[in-house]
Order: sequence, then structure tokens, then C-alpha cells
Amino acid sequence: MSRNALAWYMQRITGALLVPLLIAHFWVEHFMNATLMRGDLSYEVILTRIANPWWQAIDISFLLIALYHGLNGLYSIVLDFGKIGPRGANITATILVIIGVAWAFWGVMAFHNL
Amino acid sequence: MISPRILVRTYLSPLIGTTAWFLQRVTGLLLLFYLLLHVETVHQLSAGPAAFDRAMAAFKNPLFRLLEIGLLGVVILHALNGIRIMVIDFGVATRHQKRLFWGLAVIAGTLIFIAGAVPLFLHSVMGR
Repeated sequence: MSRNALAWYMQRITGALLVPLLIAHFWVEHFMNATLMRGDLSYEVILTRIANPWWQAIDISFLLIALYHGLNGLYSIVLDFGKIGPRGANITATILVIIGVAWAFWGVMAFHNL
Repeated sequence: MISPRILVRTYLSPLIGTTAWFLQRVTGLLLLFYLLLHVETVHQLSAGPAAFDRAMAAFKNPLFRLLEIGLLGVVILHALNGIRIMVIDFGVATRHQKRLFWGLAVIAGTLIFIAGAVPLFLHSVMGR
């Protein structure tokens, strides 16, 4: 399978995964009770949830999948303009991977002091 | 006399696929930009309770609350249109893709958006 075909498949797979993850995320951060619906999400509330390692795994997976989906989407938008050749595509992909790794690191580091 | 039905089919229908495609890209870019800001806010957790609660306090004004409800709308549109794209790509209901767009992305989307936006609006915009 070519890299672009793989990217096409992965966009659909990650998109399908993001739907239940997003519903769960909105529920626990915005809808579960009146305090959350008011928008008062505190450090304590997050700490209590994050104490469960399963929630840490879910949150980190959610971030990685969303980042992949978003940057892969950006990659296909860049390719759609049709202005860059294979070399340009490689350079774009490399830049997006570097951005993605840095972005993921910054997000995961949110948990390092909890 | 040309029937309205034919007018819609000739002039409006071809635009729907393109509009859906364009909206998917625009909402996708918006969400990617939002994710950048969101990760930056969540990263404040590592600086301790005071720093995090201070970061969250910045979003307490009604303008941000309304933007948050707008974000819900953008997410629902992107997700439902994404499901529509998958349904078409995997070869189901190819002949009904335009009806699917109206059915899923518009009707179901509006209903889900109202179900989410009303409680948020009552609690977070009106409730303070």
C-alpha cells in the first residue's frame, strides 16, 4: 500500500475512533453534572479522574489519535492544492511529523506533575 | 414551465457535495487550531492547581462560553459529515449521498447540537 493510500485509510480509522472518544470527553468534562455544565472544570476534578490510570491511557490515546487525524488532514489539504511534487510531499510530511511529536510531548507533559 | 424539482436537481444538488467537502476542510482546520490552544491550556496542569485554575478563569466570560457552544457545533458538523464520508467510501448508499448529507449532517446535527447547546447555554451563559 502506498503512503497516500495508507494515510487515506488511517484518516477513516482514526476518525471512527475519535467519535466515541469525543463523546466520552464532552460527557466527563462538560455534561456530567451542573458544575461542569456551568463550565467550572477545576484542577481537583481533573486530578480525581486522572488518578485512574485507565483515564490517563484514554486521554493520551485521544490526544495522539486527534493529533494524527488533524495533521494528516492538513497533509491531505496541502496535497490537494497540487502544487508540490513527491519531494515537497516528503518535506511536508517530515515537518508535520516533527510538529506532531512536539505537540504530543507538550500535551502528555501536562500529567507529569500530578 | 420547469418544475422546481428539476431546478434543484440541476443547479443546487451538484453544489452540495462540494459544499460538504469544503466545510469538512474548513471545520477540520478550525479544530486543529483549537487543539493547539487546548493543549496549551491543559499543559498548565503541570504548573499546579493555582496556575491551572488561573488559566481556566480566563474562559469564564460569556463570550468564551458562547464560543464553546460554537465549538460544539463545529465538532458535530465535522463528525457527522465525516461519518457520511466513511459511509460513502465504504460503498454503502452511494446513490443516496446527498440525502445522507441532509439527513445526517444537517437534521441529526441540528438535533444533537440543540440537545448539547441548550443545557450549556442555560448553565454557563445564563447561570452566572
